[in-house]
Amino acid sequence: MPSTGTNSPTAGTAPSCAATEAVRLERVSFAYGGQCVVNDVSLTIPTGAFVTILGPSGCGKTTLLRLIGGYLTPEHGQVFLQRSDVTAQPPQRRHVGMVFQNYALFPHLTVRQNVAFGLEVRGRAKASVRQQVDAVLDKVGLSPAERDRFPSQLSGGQQQRVALARALAFEPPVLLLDEPLASLDRHLREQVRLELCRIHRQSAVTTVMVTHDQEEALASSDIVGVMRAGQLLQVDSPRELYDRPRSQFVARFLGDANLIEATRLGLNQKGTVLIRPEQIRIGTEHPGRVIAVNFHGADLVAEVQCQDFVLKLRTRAISDLSVGDPIALDLPREHLWEIPDEDSL
Amino acid sequence: MKYRVSALLPAGPALAMVCGLVIGPLLLLIRVSLYEPATGRGFYTPGTLSFTNYAAFADGYLLGIAGFTVGCGLAIATMVLLIAYPLGLFLSSLTARMQLIALGLILMPKTAGLLAMLFGLQRWLPRGVLATLIAEVYLVLPYAVIVIYAQLLNLDPTLRAAARGLGASSWQVFRRVTLPLSMPGMILAFQLGLMWGLGAFLGPLFLGRPNETTLAVELHRQAFEYGRWPLAATEAVGLLVLVTVAATGVPAVVQMRRVTRC
Repeated sequence: MPSTGTNSPTAGTAPSCAATEAVRLERVSFAYGGQCVVNDVSLTIPTGAFVTILGPSGCGKTTLLRLIGGYLTPEHGQVFLQRSDVTAQPPQRRHVGMVFQNYALFPHLTVRQNVAFGLEVRGRAKASVRQQVDAVLDKVGLSPAERDRFPSQLSGGQQQRVALARALAFEPPVLLLDEPLASLDRHLREQVRLELCRIHRQSAVTTVMVTHDQEEALASSDIVGVMRAGQLLQVDSPRELYDRPRSQFVARFLGDANLIEATRLGLNQKGTVLIRPEQIRIGTEHPGRVIAVNFHGADLVAEVQCQDFVLKLRTRAISDLSVGDPIALDLPREHLWEIPDEDSL
Repeated sequence: MKYRVSALLPAGPALAMVCGLVIGPLLLLIRVSLYEPATGRGFYTPGTLSFTNYAAFADGYLLGIAGFTVGCGLAIATMVLLIAYPLGLFLSSLTARMQLIALGLILMPKTAGLLAMLFGLQRWLPRGVLATLIAEVYLVLPYAVIVIYAQLLNLDPTLRAAARGLGASSWQVFRRVTLPLSMPGMILAFQLGLMWGLGAFLGPLFLGRPNETTLAVELHRQAFEYGRWPLAATEAVGLLVLVTVAATGVPAVVQMRRVTRC
């Protein structure tokens, strides 16, 4: 489990993997033109983990990635890679692979030349470079016919593979992925995501990805950190984050959330409780009326007006629900999760 | 077809100008070059059609001038590139505000009177090839800097960041990314310098020695001092051929080298 810093609800959690940490940020801050973009962030990433930094556009997640890669220097705080302080080191000294959002493939070089770049600038022998380039291109599944093409002659998915191969070719201990799936269509995105997971399993390289897509983050990662306005709000496993968010923002950002004042449910406690739409059952406890139904293929999502609050219910599409139907819902106690009122949006 | 015609409409005034003020006079120039020299009064012999003027290029004197013109062009183009490229690099590395100020400073000499500037240089430099080259480089440099600067500004900054992330030193980033990707701008700047240099007139006229004459100065002399219009027109056609070769030849050579390398 990673630890997060002073601004985080999990502040003070001792890193259990300190001996094998790949990346550590200690109270890192960065500002663009006086505006704080990353604010006092601490994070420890264990070796071999797939960590995703999740947050809305402009929350500072790409800046955080660039601070790890050395493309930006923090105004405060320190960056450690494999327990060495690299805060002042430029990217060329950090030995970190990075896949940029636009892939940043060199347009004047072929696929092979792009992938060989990191090896050649390190002065590796030609024969070894060629061997390594072919091996890494095999790993990302790029066919030999495509290897002598220029980036402009490749599809978006192929370019993404080349960018990944280039970042992996020199065998960095840490791989940074800046919204790697953002410019792919939905079908291709899922395919490439699965491949990213496969490659991560095979190479065991510590991977830090940033994305604004919660499904992508939950499905790919061992650990997810949710960011808002330059701060890491919570860092946890996807399951923990989804089931036990520590703020309303995290609860809302990770999928549909019913957030209801505890007193309205007749509970003898203060604050807000969370229950996910798929955890609600059709039953007898809270009578109401269906006010909207949305068909989602396998599922139906219905909004139900119950007394003075609205609940969102996700149920199998075989259920026959229509707007105006009377319905009663049960909120199983074991699924109710209390969230402090602070930080509400 | 309808679309094509309507698409051409905005370019109409420019096309009319090219046809009326460039192609027309060019055809007239070629016609004049085909007249025989005047035997008595006038500038040429009307009604004649002959290639005898072009035989003058076989003459050592005119060939020497053409050779000097080409040498001047190549030297000017090379000097322009060597000065403009680092300046363009420096310019593109400045902040947006500083870029504006620096661009203004680079363009400022162009707003000064051309003759005043040449007169100043004449007081400063001794007459000769070097002074001629310096004057012409001085005149064309701002255009070349803008061409290179625009090219460098268009380079995706993440490419250089990616190269650094892959382990490249600053020199390696420059040699393997910036330089090859700014090649189109460099070629254009070289071409601009070459075409400008081939047509060099004011520099050699004000700052060159009498035996260091370019085709442009020579044709001016033939036309306006000696009244030999057919010969002057022939020299003008020769100059136009050189400029056309420079305009089309430089990209063709670059393309050929690219194909050979592939």
